[in-house]
Amino acid sequence: MSASLGKEGKKDRTPPPEQPGAAITISESLSVTSDFWRRLGLAILAISLSFVVSAIFIVIAGKNPLLAYWSLIRGAFGSIDSVAFALNKSTPYVLAGVGVALCFRARVINIGGEGQIAVGGIAASWVALSCPDLPGFFLIPLAMLAGSFAGAIWAAIPAAMRLTRGVHEVLGTLLMNFVGVLLVSEALHGPMGEVGAGFPQSPLFPEQAWLPALIPGTDLHIGIILAVVAVIVCHFGFWHTPWGFRLRLIGSTETAAAYAGVSVARGFAGVMLFAGGLAGVAGAIEVLGVHYRLIQGFSQGFGFDAVAIALLASLNPAAVLPAGLFFGFLEAGALAMQREIGVPSSLIYVIQGLTMIFVLCALGVSWRRQRV
Amino acid sequence: MLEMRDIRKHYGAVRANDGIDLAVGAGRIVGLLGENGSGKSTLMKVLFGVVKADSGTIRFRERALANHTPREAIAAGIGMIHQHFMLVEAMTVLENILLGGKRAGVGLRRSEVADRIRKTSAAYGLGLEPEAVIADLSFGHRQRVEIVKALLEGADLLVLDEPTSNLSPPEIKSLLEVLRKLAEQGRAIIFITHKLGEVFDVCDEVVVLRDGKVAGKALIADATRKDLAHLMVGRDISVGLSRTDRKPGKEVLVARKLTWRDSDGRERVREIDLSLREGEILAVAGVDGNGQSDLVDVLAGLKLPSEGTIELDGRDITRIPVGNRLRAGLAYIPVDRGATSLVAGMTIEENLALRDFDRPPYRRGIWLAHRKFRKQAQAKIAEFSILARQPDMPVRMLSGGNQQKVVIAREIGRNPRALIAFQATWGLDPGATRFVIDQVIAMRNRGGAILYIASELDEVLMVGDRIGVMANGRLIGVVPRQEVDLAQIGLMMAGSHDDSAVTNS
Repeated sequence: MSASLGKEGKKDRTPPPEQPGAAITISESLSVTSDFWRRLGLAILAISLSFVVSAIFIVIAGKNPLLAYWSLIRGAFGSIDSVAFALNKSTPYVLAGVGVALCFRARVINIGGEGQIAVGGIAASWVALSCPDLPGFFLIPLAMLAGSFAGAIWAAIPAAMRLTRGVHEVLGTLLMNFVGVLLVSEALHGPMGEVGAGFPQSPLFPEQAWLPALIPGTDLHIGIILAVVAVIVCHFGFWHTPWGFRLRLIGSTETAAAYAGVSVARGFAGVMLFAGGLAGVAGAIEVLGVHYRLIQGFSQGFGFDAVAIALLASLNPAAVLPAGLFFGFLEAGALAMQREIGVPSSLIYVIQGLTMIFVLCALGVSWRRQRV
Repeated sequence: MLEMRDIRKHYGAVRANDGIDLAVGAGRIVGLLGENGSGKSTLMKVLFGVVKADSGTIRFRERALANHTPREAIAAGIGMIHQHFMLVEAMTVLENILLGGKRAGVGLRRSEVADRIRKTSAAYGLGLEPEAVIADLSFGHRQRVEIVKALLEGADLLVLDEPTSNLSPPEIKSLLEVLRKLAEQGRAIIFITHKLGEVFDVCDEVVVLRDGKVAGKALIADATRKDLAHLMVGRDISVGLSRTDRKPGKEVLVARKLTWRDSDGRERVREIDLSLREGEILAVAGVDGNGQSDLVDVLAGLKLPSEGTIELDGRDITRIPVGNRLRAGLAYIPVDRGATSLVAGMTIEENLALRDFDRPPYRRGIWLAHRKFRKQAQAKIAEFSILARQPDMPVRMLSGGNQQKVVIAREIGRNPRALIAFQATWGLDPGATRFVIDQVIAMRNRGGAILYIASELDEVLMVGDRIGVMANGRLIGVVPRQEVDLAQIGLMMAGSHDDSAVTNS
């Protein structure tokens, strides 16, 4: 993953001599729009291929793949409840994924989503539990802020390690994941644990701290709105503000960034904090909107799925939304598939994995040519 | 031992090798002398089979070599020691020599090869330990590893490309001794350099290349430094530029005692004093790697000087960041279009705004003013006749010449007080080269102060109002163009000037 990202800006101080005579060389399609359609087509092709290949595994498991996929589709889209469930699943994916996409664009390999989500959840839970008397319109934003703040701090630590001590952020963020996840256990076995629950979980939050439902009568909470807003902000921030321009510069070549007067260190720290903050919000939404309490292992796997989603979106902030939704609906459908047909839901990880592989193969060839 | 006849090789319209003859006998050390771009490396690439010549013949040890690969060249007995070593730093001497060496069946025969390394090392006094890790070795020793590797692969002809460029003086001395011993054993050596002193120290004969042709050849016993320097650079100063007569105005960019040390503490830029005045070009010649790139980076603010001061219009800018220097009127054209002055994946309009994107007119509030990007780009594309279909195409789709026009449009187009141009015509065809030079001269005629550093001596002589040479981190011999002494410049470029005779401006 990092290797393919590293290729783009490889310093090349000895380009070959120019061939005289060729005043202008047009070797590829110019328009950004046609590029968009090509990429979308590739993504869809990759997803279809992964389903076809996964069908083989379903056959091996002794089930009918068509039936399995039918129940998967029904599980994901079959009712309002199932859609609500899938959208809730997608929310943390989108939030954490869009932050990772920005990081990777700036060539910052942040794989610390899981830890950032975990501490975001802890901080939000702490606020929700310790201010039971605050009204909801005040308590919920406060808890979210606390979550994003905690996530940002969790990202700031590896950022500082990188900038002051030269510890690569892959290592820093990865290690902080373990610390963050274990911190959840620590909190639940200690100060925040519910007495006599038998399972590491916190007491239930006061009801005004629960995220309000978006559609009454369903589980769908307002988190998905926040996720969509985050994607819009990131899209415009990345393509249409000086801040985004700076990230693009840092991500393309550090020498060019320095030449343009852009501080690589500041951009690095900024994008890490930003992504950490988004992941922290995702953690807050998980505890406030889904579990209504802090439970052990609630952040399991989100961090790495966020990386996968960012890559599936070919690091395009706007494309993180469909990519995150895809993962969310796939997971929701998989649970139904397991229930109804008896195909193990772990097969979904096979489909996700295969999709990633196909997408990366399809997009990988054009990575060098990507607009930065 | 080696006979190359009438070697021709062209890249596009550039004749890199235009009928070169080269003969090297057993036990002889032949110096191959020439400026950057004179055809030395192309000739050696042809010999080693890296590129294929358009025409010409090579005979090595009475056998014809044609259409050969580097592997076949090695098998035939040609050993190449590159300027940048091809060693794996984390591995030992022994492992590096085993790498890519002749296969000895299934096993690597470590101890046998180690023995041979020790024997060779002892025979030539190289002091190499097979188990030493490359990363721990000095550059001098790494080079010896390369030499031993070539010898163990059975090289009878050794080609050394700029072998002394990274070495300290004592290391150079012992390298030259090693080369002499190798020659005594009957091996032939081609010694590529542009340092005259070393040619006289070690070579038996010398071949001077210029513009892809043999400018002259001589036995060292019959040659003088002055002759060789003249052969290397000698030519007419071509003019034909619209240079207006104007008196230089007041000082714009002044550097005093500027010194820069790299992270290893080596002085790359040494106590440079320079002053650029309005309407004047200070052009600096010199062989690549003599501190030019560090000097320009220090002046432009990409590196902080270890010592010394820089002033722009009387204001101390020694420590202010790149962006502020730019705003103060200091433009900079770096050598490297690929990685520094342009972002290949960004569009033309974005590249034109590369150094100003975060201030008006390119910024409006928190937004980028895309419409201003577009308008500015359209204006610049027209003004500098950049051949581009539309402003939003990625800059990588432009030819090198048009890419450089984008850089020129951005840097000169801002009407700076002072411009630092480093190898601004590097890799460009003659037409684009001319365009760049014309723009620089036009800026001078408008009263701009310019530091123009290039490795093509022709260009330096053509562009400069004052001419200087950079050698070994120092700026030496700065004189007005009328007083230029070509032989002297050649000597200075070759690092063998007489210190007392030149003044440091």
